[in-house]
Amino acid sequence: MCPHTSLKQQFLKKWIMGLQRCSFSKKNMSILERKKTIKLSADIAMASARNGTTRWSRALISNASKDGSDNRLVQQILGPDSNTPAVATTTNKARTRRASVCKKIVKRSHQIRRRRRKCVAAAPVKAVTSSISKHLVRKRTQVLKTLIPGGEFMDEICLIEETLDYITSLRVQVDVMRSVASACFSQS
Amino acid sequence: MQPCSREMQAMNSLLNPTLQDQQIQTPPLDHPTSSHDDFLEQMLSTLPSCSWSDLKSPWDPPKSDETDNNVGFHYDEILASKLRHHQINGGDGGGSSPAAAAMKIMMQQQMMLTMGVSTGATGSHHQNDVVDCSSFKSLNQQGGEGSNSMQALFNGFSAGSLHETNQSHHFHHPQTPNFGATARTVMNQSQASGSTTPAPAQPKQRVRARRGQATDPHSIAERLRRERIAERMKALQELVPNANKTDKASMLDEIIDYVKFLQLQVKVLSMSRLGGAAAVAPLVAEGGGGRVQTTANGGGSSGGNQTSGNNDSVAVTEHQVAKLMEEDMGSAMQYLQGKGLCLMPISLATAISTSTCHSRNPMMKGALLQSNGEGPSSPSMSVLTVQSATPTMGNGGL
Repeated sequence: MCPHTSLKQQFLKKWIMGLQRCSFSKKNMSILERKKTIKLSADIAMASARNGTTRWSRALISNASKDGSDNRLVQQILGPDSNTPAVATTTNKARTRRASVCKKIVKRSHQIRRRRRKCVAAAPVKAVTSSISKHLVRKRTQVLKTLIPGGEFMDEICLIEETLDYITSLRVQVDVMRSVASACFSQS
Repeated sequence: MQPCSREMQAMNSLLNPTLQDQQIQTPPLDHPTSSHDDFLEQMLSTLPSCSWSDLKSPWDPPKSDETDNNVGFHYDEILASKLRHHQINGGDGGGSSPAAAAMKIMMQQQMMLTMGVSTGATGSHHQNDVVDCSSFKSLNQQGGEGSNSMQALFNGFSAGSLHETNQSHHFHHPQTPNFGATARTVMNQSQASGSTTPAPAQPKQRVRARRGQATDPHSIAERLRRERIAERMKALQELVPNANKTDKASMLDEIIDYVKFLQLQVKVLSMSRLGGAAAVAPLVAEGGGGRVQTTANGGGSSGGNQTSGNNDSVAVTEHQVAKLMEEDMGSAMQYLQGKGLCLMPISLATAISTSTCHSRNPMMKGALLQSNGEGPSSPSMSVLTVQSATPTMGNGGL
């Protein structure tokens, strides 16, 4: 992906730095732990590559730093950037406030919609299908919210924006990891 | 009266692109039978008489605002309220002075023109606006700052259109296409997932929608929100493969599957990275990594469901095997065998799956993994385990 080469390089650099720092701490780790550390370091590197511009990255880092065991790792990888968790908490509050305000607006609009629908006689088939499809959409947005880190606090618009960004960064992550893995194995 | 008429002309040419949308709405509202001409006459006659000063303050924010949408919506709301105000005050201002009559005729012609051009080339029309506006602005500058309330209004207009030119004609273009787009999206939504402003007939729905946009702040917010969502969904469509769905629900489905797939890939790749460090052959070391299903080629929602169902049991097995592998490979292999699983290189697995897939698909309970979506680039990259109901496949391939 040509437009993402800078992102790839950034991610790679941070990831390798993180891995080096982790490997100094523990020499004998089980496979599972190793896998977890690798994945975690990759995720955090990916998130920090965004420099706190996107919500999912901040949520990811704050979630990782909440865990006591992972916190050390996070601190090691992030290095001197200790202000990112603080930023995350403040934006979290703002996020929840905004989310509640958005919910109020949406609720009000729903009520108005319902009132309007009562006034105007809509075809019954149309109402049923529309309600079904709306229900489906709502269910799926719920699922998406669980997938994206920090997604529960976002409204639909932000959710889709974050998904966009998250998908690109996941792709970058996969590409870089794959190329690194193939490079390692081609040598051995 | 001549400068006044020129100003009126320019002002109306400015008003026209915004009016051509409101005029579609407002006549059906109050004058279901009257033509555009009557409405225009009425409006024009009452326009000079009423006070523009009350409009001055609403126009100030658009001067400072730089965003397209805000300006657009201010225009809509203000103009709509203004027009309604006129109509409520009544068409009593018959105002038929000869100059006014000539003006009206010219205006009507212009209205007809703009009606004809309405949805299409707003570009040329817009140039007219800009030209009129610039001549207008020079007029204003000559006259000094608007002590005349009319001039103040024109200042507002010119500032607005200057913003337009600065922002490269974004204002009018998104406005009308937006209306068209919203109408279209409204109709699409009504076809696919139901409309929020229900109406008996489709063209009337479009009219209703636009009018609703002007009157109700809630519906404006809704519409804005829906437009934004539609924009972003379009951007997502390019990223996600198999995204030719027009339906929002299926689009979301694809997105969910894709995100799950990518997360899975990262997980598996992080497992496979361990291979180089292990003392045992890389092939075996990655064995714990892989017993999960992916929808590499957009296998569809059925694949996704199976993944969600299998994931928990798979994760548990995965952990078990990983633990066992640390101690002794043999015990790990026995454990796998007990589960009816096996390890095999991906090339072999793909060969088996392609040869038997279509015949055995309904029979196979489960999980084919390809952590490397590009196929067998390196056999040590990933491990394939096949879990199936048929006994022939069960314990083979050790």
